[in-house]
Amino acid sequence: MPVDVNVLKTISIFEDICEANLHKLSSIICPLRVCEEEMLTRRGIPATNLYIVTSGNFMAFFKGGQSVTLHNKGDVIGWSSIITPFRYKGSSVALTDGEVLCIPSRKLLRLVRENSELATKLIQKINTVIQNRLPFVNGQPVVENETVRHAA
Amino acid sequence: MLGFEAIIAHNGFAMAALGISIVFSGLAVLSFAISRLYKALVLWDNRHETVKRIRNTLTSSRVRGPRIIVERSDEDQEETVRLYHMLADTLEKPFALPAFLELAVNRGLCHPYSTVNDLIKQGYIQPDGKGFYCWKC
Repeated sequence: MPVDVNVLKTISIFEDICEANLHKLSSIICPLRVCEEEMLTRRGIPATNLYIVTSGNFMAFFKGGQSVTLHNKGDVIGWSSIITPFRYKGSSVALTDGEVLCIPSRKLLRLVRENSELATKLIQKINTVIQNRLPFVNGQPVVENETVRHAA
Repeated sequence: MLGFEAIIAHNGFAMAALGISIVFSGLAVLSFAISRLYKALVLWDNRHETVKRIRNTLTSSRVRGPRIIVERSDEDQEETVRLYHMLADTLEKPFALPAFLELAVNRGLCHPYSTVNDLIKQGYIQPDGKGFYCWKC
């Protein structure tokens, strides 16, 4: 069942997007309830969905044991679904019961290809997430001088 | 009227076609039934196990009742914090959160994921900024 447009308006990643594009997005996004200990993504498998947290708490963990915990509405899980080679770089699990918005990557990519304005805005937002998590992805130790922030 | 004219006049061909189709349908159904007879016999031999399996499937697919949330007392919370602190002490500092969770699961602790989440929110488990965690860094 597609998500309501008003729900999308409350999420930071969609805040600069116009009404028309929000309607297009809402037609491809589905809310999904998750239970504690449920895995959303697994490292290495094909990345088919992008998830956006609406409630609950999640943990994304990577190859070297590094992890981030996601507690805020609008946190993104599974950005690899829109970045080549389209395989999840980390695994993610629900720490508590919650709800996420599930966006099938194929549909999102098709929408983004047809709409450059939407593409620019979404990629800008997701880039922030990628920059925050990239130090953990390859399991490499983080250099002392770098400040690593939790994904917002 | 004689010959084919008589047959046609009295719907002979139609009756013949109908008769042939009835006979062949019956033969097809019978041959199918005979080909599947061995499965029916196996099912009859294992009827008790089959009934048991169906019963188990039906009971496991029942909708679960509402989750009962038990409010923990302060003593319980203190005990939980103490237990998890002991677990954290067994790991190298800083520790990987997935490893900590796995340890809690292996120890048979109740709801380890939500408990660890609560400990993070309460500040008992803190990130070190490099993707690892420690107990009140």
